[in-house]
Amino acid sequence: MKKKVLSVLLCVAMAATLAVGCGSKDEGTKGSGSDTKTEDTAKDDSSDSGKKTYAIVTKSAGNPYNEKEAEGFQEVIEAEGGECIVKHPEAATADAQVSVIQSLISQGVDSICIAANDENALQAALEEAMDAGIKVSCLDSKANADSRQTFVNQAGTTEIGQALMDAILDITGGEGQWAILSATSQATNQNAWIDAMKEIMKEDKYSKLELVEVAYGDDEPQKSTDQTQALLSKYPDLKVICAPTTVGINAAAKVLQDEKSSVKLTGLGLPSEMAEYIGDDDAHSCPYMYLWNPIDVGRLGAYTSIALVDGTITGAAGDEFTAGDMGDYTVVEASDGGTEVILGAPFKFDPSNIDEWKDVY
Amino acid sequence: MAGKSGRTIVNVPEKSWKKTLLCWEGMLVVLFILINIFCASISQSYQVSNVLREMPKYLTEVFLMLPMAYILILGEIDISVGATVCLSATVTCMVCNKDMPFIVVVLTALLVGTVCGLVNGLILTRFTELPPMIVTLGTQIVFRGIAEIALGSGGSISLSNADGFRMIAGKVGMIPYILFVVIIFAVIFTVVLSKTTFGRSVYAIGSNRLAAYYSGIHVQKIRLIIYMVMGFMAGLAALFLTSVLYGANTTTGNGFELDAIAMAVFGGISTAGGKGKLQGGIISAFIIICLRIGLGQINMNPQLILIILGALLILAVLLPNIGGELKLKKKAASVK
Amino acid sequence: MKEKKSIWKKITGSREASLLIVLIILCVVISFRSPSFMTLKSISDMLKNNAVIMIMTLGMLGVLLLGGIDISIASTLAFSGMSVGMLLKYNVVENAFLLFVIAIGIGALCGLVVGLVIAKGKVLPIIATMGFMYIYRGMAYMIGNSQWASAENLGDFKNFALGKVLGINNVVLIMFACYIIFFVVMKWTKVGRKVYAVGSNREAAAISGINTSNVELMVYTVMGTLAGLCGALAVAVYSSAQPNMLYGKEMDVIAACVIGGVSMTGGRGSVVGAFLGSLILAIIAKALPLVGIDSIAQNTVKGVIILVVVILNVVTQRVMDKNNLKGREM
Repeated sequence: MKKKVLSVLLCVAMAATLAVGCGSKDEGTKGSGSDTKTEDTAKDDSSDSGKKTYAIVTKSAGNPYNEKEAEGFQEVIEAEGGECIVKHPEAATADAQVSVIQSLISQGVDSICIAANDENALQAALEEAMDAGIKVSCLDSKANADSRQTFVNQAGTTEIGQALMDAILDITGGEGQWAILSATSQATNQNAWIDAMKEIMKEDKYSKLELVEVAYGDDEPQKSTDQTQALLSKYPDLKVICAPTTVGINAAAKVLQDEKSSVKLTGLGLPSEMAEYIGDDDAHSCPYMYLWNPIDVGRLGAYTSIALVDGTITGAAGDEFTAGDMGDYTVVEASDGGTEVILGAPFKFDPSNIDEWKDVY
Repeated sequence: MAGKSGRTIVNVPEKSWKKTLLCWEGMLVVLFILINIFCASISQSYQVSNVLREMPKYLTEVFLMLPMAYILILGEIDISVGATVCLSATVTCMVCNKDMPFIVVVLTALLVGTVCGLVNGLILTRFTELPPMIVTLGTQIVFRGIAEIALGSGGSISLSNADGFRMIAGKVGMIPYILFVVIIFAVIFTVVLSKTTFGRSVYAIGSNRLAAYYSGIHVQKIRLIIYMVMGFMAGLAALFLTSVLYGANTTTGNGFELDAIAMAVFGGISTAGGKGKLQGGIISAFIIICLRIGLGQINMNPQLILIILGALLILAVLLPNIGGELKLKKKAASVK
Repeated sequence: MKEKKSIWKKITGSREASLLIVLIILCVVISFRSPSFMTLKSISDMLKNNAVIMIMTLGMLGVLLLGGIDISIASTLAFSGMSVGMLLKYNVVENAFLLFVIAIGIGALCGLVVGLVIAKGKVLPIIATMGFMYIYRGMAYMIGNSQWASAENLGDFKNFALGKVLGINNVVLIMFACYIIFFVVMKWTKVGRKVYAVGSNREAAAISGINTSNVELMVYTVMGTLAGLCGALAVAVYSSAQPNMLYGKEMDVIAACVIGGVSMTGGRGSVVGAFLGSLILAIIAKALPLVGIDSIAQNTVKGVIILVVVILNVVTQRVMDKNNLKGREM
């Protein structure tokens, strides 16, 4: 019995000492490494004096939109002679992004450009990164004002809301019922756009439009399909569905087109995904939709990171910088108290240009 | 300490160094060393300060692994813990934003967790025919659903005053507080499982529930307690997770239950019940954490990391089985 | 009250009957709140949108009958679906029939590997399938290489889910075909009996000459095959292949089985039960947005309904056992 106790204690002690011992050994090698090991110092030097390291953290892996953003980012960084790290979190959650940020802090990168999965939950990790001297910017989807230096906004929230509202006004012909099919109830971007749309709707010319419901498809094709079908049977007079999310618009387009429904669709979607559904005639469910170029979002993110690292801008409102061949950009105040750089107005995809864009992204 | 339970166990095998090393836990310790050497060799930044800094988020899962090991040894499973963490973190943030004293915030986290565990436990002990997996699947959806309702249309909440949580996230030198808390709880859970009648009852229930019942063990009472403890620890995990996130959202704690189960199983705890030691689970938890940190630092594709972890999980169970079978065959051959 | 008791007795005489009652009550309540629910179109939409889950429920029935579990199926589905999607995207294979064969083949292979590890390697099902859940999902991501296959890439393949034979959608037809095959196999063939035999008492089955590990291997291979088939179906139904397809839906499949009265300890459960169970889940998913429950509360309601149905199952089972005992006493 005593021996058993002993072995148990030994096991625990071993684990504990190992956790500490092994770690300190590592530290030892590192400590001595910077002094004696030429190999180590050489590497350290190269990362200090030569190439700067710029990291981009996407929302999730396996998504072509995120991939295009990362591509644009990487292209610019490498052209400017920096080192680029592309990191996808293991799942599309803030939890997973925290681990990724922590890992980047360990690697001592110079800047992190992140598309946040949650506005608030990254604050601790990003603050720690900024304390460690890393320049933090967001792109595509922002973290709150305290946890970033600036935000590369793909298009102003109001501009998107305005574009979508005008599309709805146009497609409905000025009056009638319409509904929103969003992603999840906590999707930062979607909520901001929906709020903007509701705000714009108060204007007189939209007074005959009636927003009947905001449904959430959780960015799952199955649930989005259920929700779209429910909207159709619940509101027989529905004229337009607006889906400001790539998965949702895709599922809704499929439902409407398959059922040859008279309800039309607009929103934000990837051209490559939506090419099949865009058209003016009744056989197509979506007359036109909007999006921005994710490659350009990534590229502007890269130029912003570079400008932050070399000190051209600090992320304060009023700072100006040149984003290569993309032209000059100014940092402006954002509505949440932080600052942002706005890429431009959302781009309209209609039957005339969809064929040209569907192979791009 | 030896005869505490009033019974003496005769068939304790003689311990030798060779045996200690060859048992599963021994091999895990060796593996732990190897993994650390491996990680240090592939990543320049795998240093003690960095590893300790990255660890707190992963350590929250160890809180879940400890009681999960008990549940697995019972031959049961609880897949609602991730959702419990989510609900508890959500309520905690809300209470904290009401400017309550920090002790109230801490108690809220633990209380919400315990209540969730109690709900699981009550359903499972009232309707003993129900498989734990399906009950906890149902409560998983409900707990996360309640959190979704509480969070409202934003789906996310931030701390207006993170001072208390900044304190929890503090460090002694380089070592974060959470590591101490994990070690303390690990020791408590290990000692209770291996040294008390309670622990032995757990094993007894896990190996043969009916026999345990007839030998006078309060099976349902013990199950209820364990599920409550599971909830309590989920509350604790939520508290520390909040100190890492400064907020909560509807995806908080997603997939924690599977990570916790994987840690326990990799440590040699059988999901069929009645078998395994918590020491193994604890060492394997640190193996998995170190591997994740190391592979994360060389920017390996996260899906590839999951493939590696999945393969490790299967191999960890498959290899000893094959080894055992070969030994049996050898024995059979030699007898012939 | 007295009258009711005798009816109650009759109902509880069979599990499936009590499930049917639950189903009817659900339908009545829903169509009361939303008249559009009980139309042919709405029901056919529902079946089409849930066919994938309903088919996989069959495979899970076999696995659960043996007392096992398989949580890797959603990943197998994603892997086979992504493979089909990528083959179409890069125009390697365009024949729909061939694509189905490939998807089924991939699924069968995945299932076979899972089965080998469980049946021959003696690894516990939950652990083995948890490992493969990560592995196959990872492989789906790898093969996709951050690309999706979208409606435009899918060409004629996506029309499969639109086509109808005798007025019934192809996908729904496949689902019914699977159910009929399984019903016959499980009820009237040797193979079906073997599964029940091994599930209710493995040792007894082994002694009576059944190769239990082969039965186990077969069940997991069938599960994988169905998941592979569903991969192709899901791509056709949603006209899109993404690596995170049906993430986490394995739990819905298991829930459908358990709601349908399939025991997780093995040996008990029927094809009809599985059908009713998955139908109940499908109706819940379809009806929640229809009856006007706030979308934010829908998950909670779904969870509560699952719990209530499962507990109701236990209660009826208890009543049933009591009645049986009474019968014996008399």
